[in-house]
Amino acid sequence: MKSKTGSIVILLIAVFLLVWAHNPLTSQAAAKQPVKIGVISPLSPPGDPAAGQLITRGAKFGAKFVNEEMGGVLGGRPIKLVIEDDSGTPEKGVAAFRKLATKDKVIAVMGQYHSSVCTALVDVGAEYGIPTFSTGASASIITKKHQVTTFKTHVIDYDRASTWTDFIASQGWKRIAIMAENTDYGVGLYEATKQIKGERGLKDVEINGMVFDRKVADLTPQLLKLKAWKPDILLNIGVGDPTYRITKQAYDIGLFPQVPMMGAHDWPARPEFWKNLGKMGEYMMFINYYHPKMGLSRLGEWLKPRFEKEYGEIPTYMAYNGFGQIALLAQAINLAQSDAPKDLTKSLEDWVYVFWAKGDVVDFERSAGAQWHNHTSPLQIVQYTKANQPIEESTILWPPIMKTGEIASP
Amino acid sequence: MVTIDWTLLSQYIISGVVIGLIYSLMAMGITFIYGIMRIINWSMGEFYMIGGYLQYIIITHFLGVENWYLGVLLSMVGVFLLGMVVQGLLIKPMFQGSVERRTEYATIVTISLGVLFTNVAVIGAGPFIYSPPGYYHGTRILTLPVSGTRFVAFIGTIVLLSLFYLFLKKTWWGRAFQGAAQNRMGIQTAGIDVFRLDQIAFGIGVALAAAAGALLAPEFYLHPRCGSIATMKGFEIIVIGGLGSIPGVLCAGLLLGLIESLGAVFLNPSFRDVYGFLFLLAILAIKPTGLFEERERVA
Repeated sequence: MKSKTGSIVILLIAVFLLVWAHNPLTSQAAAKQPVKIGVISPLSPPGDPAAGQLITRGAKFGAKFVNEEMGGVLGGRPIKLVIEDDSGTPEKGVAAFRKLATKDKVIAVMGQYHSSVCTALVDVGAEYGIPTFSTGASASIITKKHQVTTFKTHVIDYDRASTWTDFIASQGWKRIAIMAENTDYGVGLYEATKQIKGERGLKDVEINGMVFDRKVADLTPQLLKLKAWKPDILLNIGVGDPTYRITKQAYDIGLFPQVPMMGAHDWPARPEFWKNLGKMGEYMMFINYYHPKMGLSRLGEWLKPRFEKEYGEIPTYMAYNGFGQIALLAQAINLAQSDAPKDLTKSLEDWVYVFWAKGDVVDFERSAGAQWHNHTSPLQIVQYTKANQPIEESTILWPPIMKTGEIASP
Repeated sequence: MVTIDWTLLSQYIISGVVIGLIYSLMAMGITFIYGIMRIINWSMGEFYMIGGYLQYIIITHFLGVENWYLGVLLSMVGVFLLGMVVQGLLIKPMFQGSVERRTEYATIVTISLGVLFTNVAVIGAGPFIYSPPGYYHGTRILTLPVSGTRFVAFIGTIVLLSLFYLFLKKTWWGRAFQGAAQNRMGIQTAGIDVFRLDQIAFGIGVALAAAAGALLAPEFYLHPRCGSIATMKGFEIIVIGGLGSIPGVLCAGLLLGLIESLGAVFLNPSFRDVYGFLFLLAILAIKPTGLFEERERVA
């Protein structure tokens, strides 16, 4: 009798467990456990917070796209972003990464913008075995380390330096003045430019460079010295407020726009450029990663109207890249059929991914040198020809295949 | 034979003098507060930053850029009142009771205030860089082409420092401040409310920093950490010039500006700030009390 009662109790418990396991509410709860992705970006000075905000805005739309359009990952689990501010400082970035890895248990980290921070973070990423993405950091050293967990969908110094050196040679300019900030990015790009000049055999081209402390407010004496040298072009290699100070102070002493200036990245594509410089920004040339004339993939097309509606401005490259990396990670998670960072790393290496620009496919190969796990967007040199000009009306000067006009000067 | 481009050399020197004088305005408030209260206000850069933001709001939303000078005045008044409130709430109580190591605690309070104000700025103004429109068209100071804003800041600094000097020398309040700087106990025995004086001195000191922030907002750009320039230069200057010495601030500011400017072009531009600190170390080694030591009269 006793054993019969016992059997019935066991049977009832088994039935209950079976029903509980198949209860749609319970299954849904398990399925909805979010997959966490860390975003570490500069959201306050002394970093470049405007860039960090563009990246995080893009990433948030990326999560929205995955959750609403793709129905989540791994059969319905939502992507959840955990956003941290690195202030453009390596120590703060490393602390944020450790918190994301140990407390939040993220499976990947993206959003990196400052090369000095990203260079430190890729080592921490390797330590925890978590895929770590550079979204806008370009120093060659980031991917040159050949860490299995390091990925990048952004240019490297070498690409940037090649682009402007070839353009400068095409213009017949012989005297290149450089103002470079004292960071991995600034010094790296300065050195890469000298290297490319040597590789191209441009013996009659001279470079006069100055590396400045990015915390210094007044750069007038250095700019006066460069002006006296009579350069053909001034390359502005700064991030954040130093870029504005170089432009303004060069304008004040009559160096720019009399001498053309080229920014090393796409900061003039942001709306704040005209607000902060006004007429002083006229004739500015800069390296750009995405021009509205280039076209978008279906992913990019999804983002553009929504971003414009939300923020009242068209998304720029950093927003697209932040968005694209989240969409790319979602594809990789689904292909891995796992939320383990190790499986995700393998999936990122094994497959190719749809990205946000038209015809752009990402393939993280174990290539030599800085091209390791690196996907570079096509670069252009563009120029504003009048004050308050929107980016879509700027002239593409380089490469020749994309050229829409000639260089303008006052 | 080395040929000297005298025009270029004069431009370097004028550039150094201009920035040095502007540095002096950044430092004047620090030395004034120290002179009266014997505390170092480490949040001075943040008051500079607040002055800049106030100026931006006032001239872009209310008065227009043509009334920039009213904006500077209003920014100074706003920060003066803020300084009075902060001093009254957070620093004054330490001086009224029998608190040991009061100046140390007060100094820590000012460090905390700096962190607080920076974070409030991040929340309130966002992380973006702001710049109000320039105050005046580009012009020249002798051989040096300068922006209108820098010219205005240069002239504005001369005017403000002159007015401040006259205030200290010619008014009752100014003499009371000098008395407090020389002997706090002495002026208390003369019936002067030294705590009230402290509060006003703190307000005036931070208002001077706000004036620098407002004058330079279009020149050096605004963001929550922009005050770090004022803090760093300010403290270099007061140590070089001598803590509490107003002529010392002027002299040290000019010297610092010149040394940085010439060092950046004739030595290595990467170490512009280092030259200032080397000069500071040299002064400390030769004359540890600074170039113009202010002596306190002890009863």
